[in-house]
Amino acid sequence: MSELNIEATERTPAITLSGPPWRLSLSGESYPEDVSAFYGPVILALDEIVASAAHAMRAELSLVYINSSSIKALYRIFEGLDLCRQKGQRIEVCWRHTEDDDIMQELGEDFQERFPELTILIESQ
Amino acid sequence: MTMSTPLFDLYDREKQLLAEGPAVLASGEAAQIYIFAQRLYERFSKVVRENEDLTRHSDRQEQRLVKLNQSLKAQTRELDERRHAVEELSRQLSKYLPPQIHEAMFAGRYDTRVSTQRKKLTVFFSDIKEFTTTAESLQPEALTEYLNEYFSEMTQIALEYGATIDKYIGDAMMVFFGDPESRGVREDARACVEMALKMQQQMKVLGQRWKARGFENPFVIRIGINTGYCNVGNFGSEQRLSYTIIGGEVNIAQRLESQAEPGGILLSYETYAHVQDLVAVEERQAIRLKGIARDIKAYAVKGRLAQVSPVLVLQDPAGVAIHLEPQEMDSASRARLAESLRQLAGQLAPDA
Repeated sequence: MSELNIEATERTPAITLSGPPWRLSLSGESYPEDVSAFYGPVILALDEIVASAAHAMRAELSLVYINSSSIKALYRIFEGLDLCRQKGQRIEVCWRHTEDDDIMQELGEDFQERFPELTILIESQ
Repeated sequence: MTMSTPLFDLYDREKQLLAEGPAVLASGEAAQIYIFAQRLYERFSKVVRENEDLTRHSDRQEQRLVKLNQSLKAQTRELDERRHAVEELSRQLSKYLPPQIHEAMFAGRYDTRVSTQRKKLTVFFSDIKEFTTTAESLQPEALTEYLNEYFSEMTQIALEYGATIDKYIGDAMMVFFGDPESRGVREDARACVEMALKMQQQMKVLGQRWKARGFENPFVIRIGINTGYCNVGNFGSEQRLSYTIIGGEVNIAQRLESQAEPGGILLSYETYAHVQDLVAVEERQAIRLKGIARDIKAYAVKGRLAQVSPVLVLQDPAGVAIHLEPQEMDSASRARLAESLRQLAGQLAPDA
């Protein structure tokens, strides 16, 4: 099973994936030149986790700025997490945004609405 | 983990569905088409939801950008206003500060700590002969007008010669050369004397102008110049500083000024030593100063030494006169003229 450790750049967030139990973390800005190429490894790794034996997973997303293409990638990540949940895994998502960033707060709320069965906690920091 | 691992496309599922479409439709099998339509419906529903969220997010970002842009414009306006205010302040301050200090200060190069250093400077003093009496004979408005004109013209000359204007003391001017910029002691002294000559020359022009305007006894100034070591820098306290010079040599310059003839320039020996090829002088009685052991030799400037520049003159009884100043011509012009004269001489010769 692939573990990930991608360092942040000016345009892309730091991504780590380790486990089991799985722990996924995304933090930083997200406006990659090629969203498919950047998020592909995360999405494929999640697909592998979905197909593997059940394990708990905690995902922490602390994104500062995110472009529209990256949201499409996040949808795929949330779908993967939701599939894990459907398979009976205990999934916990923590969506963090900076205190005065209402855009990121509202985006977290959009995901809550789209994936009502997932436990998505929204935290202001 | 590298970023180039298996080629991945975020829209792979949608594209896959689209790719299957033609074959399914061409098959004409209702069951197959029904299953396909269901998958298409599910995927399309998700895409629509995603698209709604993406559009909403994009609109929020756009709204933030618009606000940021407005805020940026407001800040730019405010910065512009502040910049104008600083420029205006700088312009006003420039009238109170020596230009070199003003320039260094606004370029962030000026140290405003209380600090001084010893430096060899050429110090200049001037004042108006019998100013008090002259002032009493003038209406205050006229006095202000003439005095402003006098200071404006003298200041202009001082700045042209690179002087540091220390201060105006009543009708007197205190100026020096050698700090904050120096061209070397000798060049500083020469610039100062050149400036003094120009000032006296301009005073004559001003005198004529003033007389024509009804100023019966126009201002006449005395000038004293000395070169020597002074303390220069910021004097005062951390609260209030004055960029100036102090020291015995400053007093000598002032004393020379007081001993100068009206309309004249009196130099100390050291200043004279730097300009002896520039001006003709007459040695005056040495000056004694309290606190200074040596006598101060004084030299009154009588005028510029004639320029050592050969003038070629041809005066012929036939009525031909040629007056040439070769130093005013470049070498090509000189060669051309020499050739023309040779040709002329050739034509003039009796056997030609």
